[in-house]
Amino acid sequence: MKKLSFRVIICILIVNLTIIPFLFALNGYGTTEEIDSKFGDTPVIDGYIDLFSGEWNKAMKVQINLGGLPPKGLPISLWVMQNDFNLYISVQLELEQGYHNITEFIGLIISNSSSEAKEDFIDAKIIQFSNISVDKFNYFDYYINNSIFSIDTEVNGNGAANLDGVTSTYEFSIPIKNTLDNVEDVVLDYGNTYAFNITYGDVPIYPNGIKKSTTVLINLISLPSTLPSLTNIILFALCIVVFSIIGILYGFYIYKILRLKADIKRVKR
Amino acid sequence: MSKIPKQQEKELKSKEKYRSNEKFAYRSVIISAILGGIFFIISLFFNTGFITIFMNKDIFWNFIDITIKVLAIMFFFLFMITSVGNYKELIGKPLNWKELLFLFLLSIGQTILNIWVFTFTLFGLAIIIIYLYIVQEF
Repeated sequence: MKKLSFRVIICILIVNLTIIPFLFALNGYGTTEEIDSKFGDTPVIDGYIDLFSGEWNKAMKVQINLGGLPPKGLPISLWVMQNDFNLYISVQLELEQGYHNITEFIGLIISNSSSEAKEDFIDAKIIQFSNISVDKFNYFDYYINNSIFSIDTEVNGNGAANLDGVTSTYEFSIPIKNTLDNVEDVVLDYGNTYAFNITYGDVPIYPNGIKKSTTVLINLISLPSTLPSLTNIILFALCIVVFSIIGILYGFYIYKILRLKADIKRVKR
Repeated sequence: MSKIPKQQEKELKSKEKYRSNEKFAYRSVIISAILGGIFFIISLFFNTGFITIFMNKDIFWNFIDITIKVLAIMFFFLFMITSVGNYKELIGKPLNWKELLFLFLLSIGQTILNIWVFTFTLFGLAIIIIYLYIVQEF
């Protein structure tokens, strides 16, 4: 009897150990990639990636798949960049001619930390096409509570989208540490990591309209120190002293050369 | 028959040769000092970080930046050592090792902001000094 109880307990333990990780996985979005943001210039948020001006040149570029590997998943190009004030994210999506839905959207569902638990994703920025054929779109800022999307009282950030041939481009600008509403928005901070669920959908109903999504971790880099280190200051001061000494000695040497010329002339006379 | 005695003629020729050498040495002092000054100004602009157009772009432009800095210092040293050497010769004193060391330190002092410039300049100056030593020996 004791042996049987022991076996039952072991079986329950094994079953639990097998199922529990799956439950955790179901509760989150599932991470695919960790991206280090890069410092760059401020891009124009207009739905165009201007290659001539090189506005996104310094961005971190990655290729990811929304909702698994192709053919099931949707491959996208993700560009991540930041400056002193904002985080810039661009998503490029290439679909065959006629496959872009008229009410296509790309959303960024943001976790308040690097946690991928569903309840930590409390903020959503969505660029929603109302008519993709004429490039009509809206930028929405939502607050998420128990999977219910509620529109923010204050719109935080900015977004634009454009369809060019078979490629649709979405550009997001999200303030860092300068959020208008701390309750309805995730306050991004330098040096921290945040989970971003990138979503694609074709019906403007959230979250039911979401068709494919993938979570990435974005590492916001710290602001570069504006104050030079003491060693650098000392070295620079020393450098200036050395150059000043050389300059003074050089001037004195030129004076000596001119004096020498006068002396030679006097000796000749 | 020449009215000037042979001994006097020889002395005159010797004096003229000395004057010609003196003129050449003085011109060398001036030209070398000016060139040294030009390279000093180039070095001043690049080594103090006043001109940063080539810095922190990529490895190629960094290499160009370091090369300009190193060459400016090396040419400064080379022209100044020539100028000072000839100057000392004109005043009848030889260039001693203290002056050579002083110029060497002034040249190497220009490199303190960049470890790579320091390393390559040290190497370059050592080659120049070895070369000058060998030339003097033979």
